[in-house]
Amino acid sequence: MHEFLAQLFNGIALGGIYALIALGYTMVYGIIGLINFAHGDVYTLGSFFALTILTALGVSGELHGVALIVDVAIALIGAALLCGIVGVLIERLAYRRLRNAPRLAPLITAIGISFILENVMQIWKGPAPVPFPAVVPNPSITIAGVAVGAQQFLLVGLAVVMMVALQLFIHNTRLGRAMRATAEDRDAAQLMGININKTIMLTFLIGSALAGVAGFVSGVYYQSTWFFNGFGAGLKAFTAAVLGGIGNIAGAMLGGFLIGIVESFATWKFGGQWSNVTVFAILILVLVFRPSGLLGEAVYERA
Amino acid sequence: MRLILATVALAALAACSGANNASISKNTTTTTTAVTAAPSPAPPGQVVKIGIDLPLSGGDASVGISTEQGALLAIDQAQKGMPHGFTLQGEALDDSVQGVHNPEQGVSNVRSFISDAAVLAVVGPYNSNVARAEIPVTNAAGLAQIGPSVVADNLTIGPEAAQLRRANPSWNTFFRVCTTDSRQGSALAQFARSLGFKRAYIIDDNETYGLDLADRFEKDFTNDGGTVLSRDHLAKNTQDFKSLLLKVLAAKPDVVFFGGVTSTGGGLIRKQMFSVGLGKVAYMGGDGLADLATVAAAQADGSYYTLAAPDAEKLPAAQAFIKAYRAKYNADIGPYSANAYAAAQVAADAIARAIRSAHGAVPARAAVVANVASTKLETPIGPISFDKYGDVTNPVLSLYGFKNGQSYFIRQIQLKL
Repeated sequence: MHEFLAQLFNGIALGGIYALIALGYTMVYGIIGLINFAHGDVYTLGSFFALTILTALGVSGELHGVALIVDVAIALIGAALLCGIVGVLIERLAYRRLRNAPRLAPLITAIGISFILENVMQIWKGPAPVPFPAVVPNPSITIAGVAVGAQQFLLVGLAVVMMVALQLFIHNTRLGRAMRATAEDRDAAQLMGININKTIMLTFLIGSALAGVAGFVSGVYYQSTWFFNGFGAGLKAFTAAVLGGIGNIAGAMLGGFLIGIVESFATWKFGGQWSNVTVFAILILVLVFRPSGLLGEAVYERA
Repeated sequence: MRLILATVALAALAACSGANNASISKNTTTTTTAVTAAPSPAPPGQVVKIGIDLPLSGGDASVGISTEQGALLAIDQAQKGMPHGFTLQGEALDDSVQGVHNPEQGVSNVRSFISDAAVLAVVGPYNSNVARAEIPVTNAAGLAQIGPSVVADNLTIGPEAAQLRRANPSWNTFFRVCTTDSRQGSALAQFARSLGFKRAYIIDDNETYGLDLADRFEKDFTNDGGTVLSRDHLAKNTQDFKSLLLKVLAAKPDVVFFGGVTSTGGGLIRKQMFSVGLGKVAYMGGDGLADLATVAAAQADGSYYTLAAPDAEKLPAAQAFIKAYRAKYNADIGPYSANAYAAAQVAADAIARAIRSAHGAVPARAAVVANVASTKLETPIGPISFDKYGDVTNPVLSLYGFKNGQSYFIRQIQLKL
């Protein structure tokens, strides 16, 4: 029982990171039907930005009191903002002109952007994993005999807050309504006077900013980052988005947590080498029996 | 006609890339078929080359580049010993793809060496799984290949090694200046028991090198009275090892043994051991953990590793090499710089002897292979000669630990054959 709970909490924390990344995949897919394969690398970029900001602030270890709140806020918001800008630039440079091209074209540019980002990051911070300062103290509380660290709460809390905020934004604001309208029918939305380019830009801004947040928390949680992290994490987060129903915000969240928990339990019960096998076997099963995902609506096929 | 033009263009391209500076490394994806080098009288300034295949980007670059520099230094210095009219060059290619050493890329690099008639020997690769892919190709082409650090047993010994040599079964073209995995595994098992460890948890990265190492450790540790609690393999491309380590925690080991390298998870596992409460448990592995501190920093303390070579810093023979290396690169030597230097020295020596016996013509690759096999050479890592499988006849290992994020030498182990 003890080990079960320990694995469960670990899986939930891991799932929180997947969930934050999955939100970006699902938003972009929802609005332009593109699987943005560069998204995983934007997540890594987030941890790099956060690391750079923290280094610039002179932070190298645990923080307390006001400094903790101020520095973490600066690093978190800074990383999110910079990632958001990168996301918008990627959309502008690599996707916008291909919006009406056959679907394969933007998919390939997405993969191209992913390689470019990976290599730029490799040149930037070097080929080996880079240590990330453990800025957030990690006192643990004991739940049913299992120690759960503050960082785990922070991670899960952030993921849930972000999802709720996103839901509220999409359903209760004008811009959110514009996003939904664009997702449903781009041409009709344009005829109604919605600025499509601006709306899509906004989607990339928010999705990439969330990846930036995920990058920051993963850096704090694992105390290291690596230019290639986004590849594996991005694939799993994408799986999470599909599992939950791609295009569906709550689905991405659910999928993220499920994938995290499944991965954790698979490692525990079947051994580490089976964790990816289990995760992707579940993806295949879900796609075969429920192609629209757990919470997904029927996917609109665009011509 | 078009075909001929294309061929000419390709040849020109190959010639251009051959003329590149030796220290420039690049990925090449050209696949060309083998061309045998016919002996021909050498025009003045004849260039002969040693190909270098190592991981020079990505997670392995931290060890790959210092290894490459060792080889290039030897090639520079060997110029003096080359017969008149010959210029020796090193040409390095990178076998990393997406940040990790890649067997297919290795094969592609070796093919481009084979297609370049000036390449008479290859130094590399760094990783055993890359070597497994490359050996059949160099063997078929009859090109001598000398590994500085590839330690998997079955590259030289046993039925699997024979399978790698299937193109020319009676002809061994692959040599290595390091000793083997199983010897590292044995040394580590002995050492673990001598520290009083009884309960070991073994994790490996599911690659040729890591599996061999972990297998041997498991066997020797058990035979020596220790208990192996469990054995786990890692998934590729993940940064989260916490669930695995929670499982390890529940098993209460004295030591966690990792078969693999820092870049395939060895570094992050050590780091994450601290976050699940395993920070006080010892951590152990082979030469793949030599660069552990680049990832784990001070958390590397309490970890141990072996190198499949003598400690160059401790050998009087190596002091000149270390000085020259520092002077040239303004850096300390890496874990396998001395080995790569020795490997390139062996290659250069064999090439020089082959040129002399060919009376100043560009020698056949077969002559170089034969000369490597008969090597008797003083190197920074001691005297080198090879047995009929291509393994060194004088296997020496060194044992290291970490203190304050720095590795320190513990002792040397001379294995009996």
